[in-house]
Amino acid sequence: MISCTEFIPAYSELFKYLEKRDGKEAVTKYWDRIAKDGLDNLHREVSQNGLKGCWNYWAHALNEEAADFEMTLDEEKGEFRIIMHHCPSKGRLLEEAHLQPYSDYCGHCPALYKGLIESYGLTYESDLSGTANAACAAIITDPNVKK
Amino acid sequence: MEKMVRKASDNKYLHKDFHIGLNFGIGYIAKLHGDDAVIEYLKEYARVFHKPLREDVSKRGLAALEDYFRKQYETEEAADDITFERSEDELRISIKECPAITHIRKNGGEIAPMFVETTRTVNETIVQGTPYAFELISFDIDTGASEQRFYKKEAGA
Repeated sequence: MISCTEFIPAYSELFKYLEKRDGKEAVTKYWDRIAKDGLDNLHREVSQNGLKGCWNYWAHALNEEAADFEMTLDEEKGEFRIIMHHCPSKGRLLEEAHLQPYSDYCGHCPALYKGLIESYGLTYESDLSGTANAACAAIITDPNVKK
Repeated sequence: MEKMVRKASDNKYLHKDFHIGLNFGIGYIAKLHGDDAVIEYLKEYARVFHKPLREDVSKRGLAALEDYFRKQYETEEAADDITFERSEDELRISIKECPAITHIRKNGGEIAPMFVETTRTVNETIVQGTPYAFELISFDIDTGASEQRFYKKEAGA
């Protein structure tokens, strides 16, 4: 068994394996497939609950992943934000000296979430400028909410 | 407005849905590139990730493996599902139920046929280059119940 606590290195190595075998496009295709068929909980939450569904999904995932983060949901403003002070996934890959993270490891988040979220009429933007320190941010907005 | 602020130390790191993610990945590679590709990927993963464990096995032998798997099952909150029998030359491991398979099935997932390799190939690779070898004696794909052994190569015949 690969423990769920060992998944992140396995995930990173899978990206490397696919890229080594068939180039970056193979990794992008894999991310597209996950977004389409591998995130049933997120599809269900967003389709049923919109921004509140995003809150529900990430509240569950980020607590179980023991992330260091802030999340806000302002439904009147039509805005959901995540500020990730320290991502446990990227953090793990950076902390263990014998691991070399996949070069675009953090690219999987917007690749998985942007298209999925926007297919339900919301918008998704992310800031990956701090990923060298395992930090990032994302904002999801509902353009139908009058500001 | 709702706000949630958490430090890493506020929670235990245990996101069992990652088992579903791994099963998805194994199924994806097998479908796209075949079973050999799954084995190739898992060998590469285990070679890289388990380097410290492999070194520990070279130093401390079978005790290092027992410690590793005991801790792994404790982390998965499944300590009662694993038992060990260790002699100088052999470590036998009995798994009543695999926490990964239990979680995937509980959430309605089908186990990828090559999922067994996350045990067989990974464990074989962990001990590659050490005086030990691995054998998966039995494996039940429905529950993950299994009998496994690591043994000293000279004594393994």
